[in-house]
Amino acid sequence: MSLRTTTDRLVAEVQTRLTGRTRPTLLAGAVLVIVGSLLPWLTFGGYPGQLKSPFFFGDSGVRIFTLLLSVAFLLALFALPGRRKAGIAASLGMVAITAGTFLSVLNERGGLGAFAVGIFLTGIGSVVALLGFLALPPDVEPGRWRRKPQWVELLIVSGAQLALLLVVVYALDVGTDDGARSSRIIGFFLFIIAASAAVHALGVFAGISTLYRRHRGVTIAAGSLAAAAFPFLISEVQDGSAYWIRVAASIGVFAAAAIGLNIVVGQAGLLDLGYVAFFGIGAYVAALLGNANLTTSNIDLPFYIVIVLSAVVAAILGIIIGAPTLRLRGDYLAIVTLGFGEIFRLVAQNYDKLTRGPNGISGVPNLKVGSYDFGDSHTVLGVDLPYFANYYFIELLLIAFVIIVFTRLATSRIGRAWVAIREDETAAQAMGVNTISMKLLAFAIGAFLAGGAGAINAHVATQVSPDSYTFLESVTLLAAVVLGGMGTVAGAILGSAVLIALPEKLRTFQDKRLLFYGIALILMMRFRPTGIVPNSRRKLEFDDADPTSGDAVTQEQPPSTGKAVMAQ
Amino acid sequence: MVQFLQQLSNGVVIGATYALIALGYTLVYGIIQLINFAHGEIFMVGAFGGLAFYLYALPESLADESYMLPLVFLAAMLTSVVIAVLVERFAYRPLRRAPRLAPLITAIGVSIFLQEAVRLYFPDAKSARPFPQYVSTRNVGFKGVGLPIVAIFVIVVAILLMIALSAFIKTSKTGKAMRATSQDPDTARLMGVNTDKIIVITFAIGAALAGIAGVMQGLQFGQISFSIGFLAGIKAFTAAVLGGIGNVTGAVLGGFTLGIVEALGTQYISSTYKDVFAFVVLILVLVFRPSGLLGERVATRS
Repeated sequence: MSLRTTTDRLVAEVQTRLTGRTRPTLLAGAVLVIVGSLLPWLTFGGYPGQLKSPFFFGDSGVRIFTLLLSVAFLLALFALPGRRKAGIAASLGMVAITAGTFLSVLNERGGLGAFAVGIFLTGIGSVVALLGFLALPPDVEPGRWRRKPQWVELLIVSGAQLALLLVVVYALDVGTDDGARSSRIIGFFLFIIAASAAVHALGVFAGISTLYRRHRGVTIAAGSLAAAAFPFLISEVQDGSAYWIRVAASIGVFAAAAIGLNIVVGQAGLLDLGYVAFFGIGAYVAALLGNANLTTSNIDLPFYIVIVLSAVVAAILGIIIGAPTLRLRGDYLAIVTLGFGEIFRLVAQNYDKLTRGPNGISGVPNLKVGSYDFGDSHTVLGVDLPYFANYYFIELLLIAFVIIVFTRLATSRIGRAWVAIREDETAAQAMGVNTISMKLLAFAIGAFLAGGAGAINAHVATQVSPDSYTFLESVTLLAAVVLGGMGTVAGAILGSAVLIALPEKLRTFQDKRLLFYGIALILMMRFRPTGIVPNSRRKLEFDDADPTSGDAVTQEQPPSTGKAVMAQ
Repeated sequence: MVQFLQQLSNGVVIGATYALIALGYTLVYGIIQLINFAHGEIFMVGAFGGLAFYLYALPESLADESYMLPLVFLAAMLTSVVIAVLVERFAYRPLRRAPRLAPLITAIGVSIFLQEAVRLYFPDAKSARPFPQYVSTRNVGFKGVGLPIVAIFVIVVAILLMIALSAFIKTSKTGKAMRATSQDPDTARLMGVNTDKIIVITFAIGAALAGIAGVMQGLQFGQISFSIGFLAGIKAFTAAVLGGIGNVTGAVLGGFTLGIVEALGTQYISSTYKDVFAFVVLILVLVFRPSGLLGERVATRS
């Protein structure tokens, strides 16, 4: 509490001192930041002569990010609702980027001699800007977007998807080919956080998500197109390197499993801490039946049979585990599933006759469906696609299937029964919901989907071993669901993408990447506990519980009621 | 028979550590219904705090004297308590009103963070580090059933601590406030209990016990590593649930039961599946007695 009061007092101090002088303060900040970002920051590395891509800020430049953030100054010129918060977010981002660069260069190169005048100008300017934005009068909450012409709305919807795709591709590409990787990557992530906070404060995300809801079909089409375009773009940007496509292939499998887990946790509210076991069972079944090199069986079944078998075996095990334990509630179920996950791993590790123990089954061949070999790379539209792209595309199909299952179930009688169980099991039972069989169904469907995803994973990873199915993996799956937003499909996909790509991206930090991963989990939950894409129902509940954000609840109400009242 | 008694006493020794850690889980869960997954890491951090004190704070000539052991215990407790209170303040408290799963993810984040922080920043902690042997590992016993002195020491300390804890909760004013908060935080607050303070105290008590358990682990096995927290944490949580989570006596009983089951299972069934027994027993107990051995109420708050 004391921390909060101290900052409050500081802000009040700034406001009294700068009243009536916000305009010149902001102007001074803007000039300093912009000029500072255009000038070189460091005295080595050929500044500003080297004109490398993308912009002439190439090299180790993070100056482009402060320059882009300075767009926020434009907001101050117009009395946009939400401009104070947006401005504060942007200038905090600028402060963080300059300070981060300063510290990392100081640490790596030693001494102040490395710095040129630009970094100091930007640093001072961003602090001045922060003070200026703090001194602005409190914001008007950004309202809902007015209806725009159909074509504008569609343009926004598809443009947003395209922008997301480009940001993702840039995020993956950034820092792969220049010397000062870490400072550039950190700079970029700080930029993304600050920029999204600023855009969020202006109410843009809320606006876009209403548009998404209004134009569901176009959203899905644009999203699928963007997802399909991803391998082409990344392959082009990365000069045909297979690295990120391989990562994307693992994200795809993971996302399919995460959506399955979302049924169990997000819909039915059953906390499953051993979900990865079903994923692992699917993988083991696929490896055993899929003619791996180092296997204990020598069975070679076609893949479309194997994947169904994997899923069915996982579902049967889910029922066997679930039947006696689903009578338990809440945390007891969590620990039982955790126990089951551990048992699976330990059995896989020790039952050599079937699983080949800790070594696992390796040499799982590439998929062959008919005469199509997934191990071949292709050139489509002049772009060389590494063979992982094949898996990526089949996973898109799998995800599409899973999404259809998920959404159809969620809006059905079964889905409503799950939500009822999640909210209040006793009440649901009283209302005639057969809670045990509904919970069992959720468990079995979750296991079924995980088993199918696991079967594909066995082929993508070319081997299965007990190490891949640890408690940490279960946690990561759960974290993907919670992080993305419980009960939403987009959330599960985004969450898995972030959680798989982030450690890969943090590989530059080698040893420290798990450390950062831990910090990232803590921070995400601290600042956005409902997840990136919150379920609208859940969001309402959460806002309701928090008396400080009462405004948000009223905003959630559909605008039509207001209009109707006025019409009367 | 000798073998059986031997394994039984081994089980009691293992169980003592589980029970001490389980107390921390159960106390915190009893008060705020949070599965503090980072608690295993608090145990690990405590062990490293004790080691750091031994290595860097004690003068070398005196460091190995056995009368320094209380100081090492104290250092371990202090480290665990400080870390746990910081975690509570900065990671858990802001999430008190958040959806139930959010603090769980945070706890897992904290757990990863602490493990990695020790691995990276404690000197040479990437592999196991030897722990000073203050208590002799010589075997004592009669009629063929023997235990190292250190094991007996561990059991005695653990039992004393548990008695002290239950006395504290039953008789002291703070203990009463803890029980009140656990029953109904809102009413407790209306009755003038500073629930925030009680929650911090609860975290601190759990952490202190975990710190002691950490040093005892070091004394018993002669070494500690950054990864000891994970399995110990999961087993201890299992023990807490086994006894009936939220119930202090239950945690102790669960800890000892789990230890004994593990020791006997290793001896009579198979040593490769040592870690499986704990979970099988847990599942069986929960299926037939869903609220745990001593739990009177089924956890309905969700």
